[in-house]
Amino acid sequence: MWHALKAELIYFRPWLLGGLGIAAFVSTLLTVLARVVDGADGVPGFLAGMFPIIAGMVVAFIAQSYRSEEHRARLLMAGPMVPRQLAGVMVLLPICLVGLGALAGGLFVGAIALLTGPLEAATLPTLGVFAVQFLAYAQMGPLAQEATAARNQRRSRAAVAGWTVFVGAVMFLVASQFILGSAYGVLGQLMTVVAAMVVSAVLYQGRTDFTR
Amino acid sequence: MSDRRPEATAAARLSGLVKRFPGFKLGPLDLTLEPGTVLALVGPNGAGKTTTLNCMAGLMVPDEGGTEVYGAHVHPARTEYRRDVGYVGEENGFFQRWTAGRNLEYMAQLLPGWSRDRANRLADRIALPLGTPVNKLSRGNRTKLAIVAALGHGPRLLLLDEPTAGLDPVVRAEVLDVLWEITEDGEHAVLYSTHVLSDINRLADELVFLRDGRLVLRTGRDELSESWRRISFRLQDEEVELAGVVEHRRVRAEHQVISRDAEATLERLTELGAEAVEVARMTVDEIAVQILKEGHNVARAEG
Repeated sequence: MWHALKAELIYFRPWLLGGLGIAAFVSTLLTVLARVVDGADGVPGFLAGMFPIIAGMVVAFIAQSYRSEEHRARLLMAGPMVPRQLAGVMVLLPICLVGLGALAGGLFVGAIALLTGPLEAATLPTLGVFAVQFLAYAQMGPLAQEATAARNQRRSRAAVAGWTVFVGAVMFLVASQFILGSAYGVLGQLMTVVAAMVVSAVLYQGRTDFTR
Repeated sequence: MSDRRPEATAAARLSGLVKRFPGFKLGPLDLTLEPGTVLALVGPNGAGKTTTLNCMAGLMVPDEGGTEVYGAHVHPARTEYRRDVGYVGEENGFFQRWTAGRNLEYMAQLLPGWSRDRANRLADRIALPLGTPVNKLSRGNRTKLAIVAALGHGPRLLLLDEPTAGLDPVVRAEVLDVLWEITEDGEHAVLYSTHVLSDINRLADELVFLRDGRLVLRTGRDELSESWRRISFRLQDEEVELAGVVEHRRVRAEHQVISRDAEATLERLTELGAEAVEVARMTVDEIAVQILKEGHNVARAEG
């Protein structure tokens, strides 16, 4: 499984690097603009670090789409991988991509701090909160994909379970915007991530068709 | 992965295989493929050929029945059978932006038993452009890549899902040459699905006809060529009952029939006193068209 995950990360590296490059450009532009515009208060530190995380999330969606379009399961199932391991790759890939985005965001914020002086103490924790939130969004892709696959494969109970978790997760993510700063909000979002991963993996293992 | 199973076992065995989709049911299919045999799965689009192969490759779970490859049960959650299976489908899951060579290198790391030497020799022999990204390869070259990828780990059963579909005549002939070379050594059992009937003559030892998800007929290629004939004759009788005839055209006293049992038909014509009897051989693809047209009637008649 780890070998397959590593191959996917290498395959999607150009997209990730491109996305991070665009994110760095936007963040730099915002930071510079905030400095040169008279009377501006400056861009909050976490905002500059947020764009790389968004880039990671977008690449996670792109990766999901490409893997599905390229029928990757067909290739991996020619070898010794079983559905449990394929499911592992499916749910861990978004974590890696958003995680790498978050790492780049942290480094970017650190670089800004070196150039412009110390940032607010809450910058990095706020960035962490956003990372968890974007990770939760990134996990909605595989969940929706597996709920749809279950419906197409006439696994009614699995489809209902998948869509129920999906709708519940999306509603919670929307509601959690109002308690984003609290520990409950972050904990809830982390639980959403874990629930989405577990349900996606279980639905994947129950597939009766691995051709798509 | 476990060690290879004994040679004596059937290369593949389908037992009561059923797969249902909305508006379509495949099976129940019972089929045995002996080692070293090239079996063509013939049928029109939507007959169930790809579904059969997907079930045999462990990419689909049947609703009923099952499949074995060299005695190992085929299921997505099991891996014992995979060492013996090479699959060439329309889509093979390659990393489209990687070169053909990089994909093969990835497979070398993924598949136990992969031989870089074997894969390179085959790629060289069929002139596969290893340095070209998969999404820039022509359809013919993608098929060649799939063939190399399917054979690199030395499987004993090769599943080919319409490998020549959509190819221009030159590339098609090239791909058929490659497949013919691979199969002529008799080391591989091959299940080859096609609706391009002219491919059959070149490759298959045996033919299985599928129509609407059901097995219509299984027969040897030579047996088929020997028994089917196009017969023309002159006979004054308007209504004539002839054994083995699947198609009968008549213009006044001139009759033209297609018989699946030429011997029986000719015997009956002699009894009836038919004149100007002419017998013509039919090509395997002409016969295949008749079987698929007549479908169930032929199956019933063949028992």
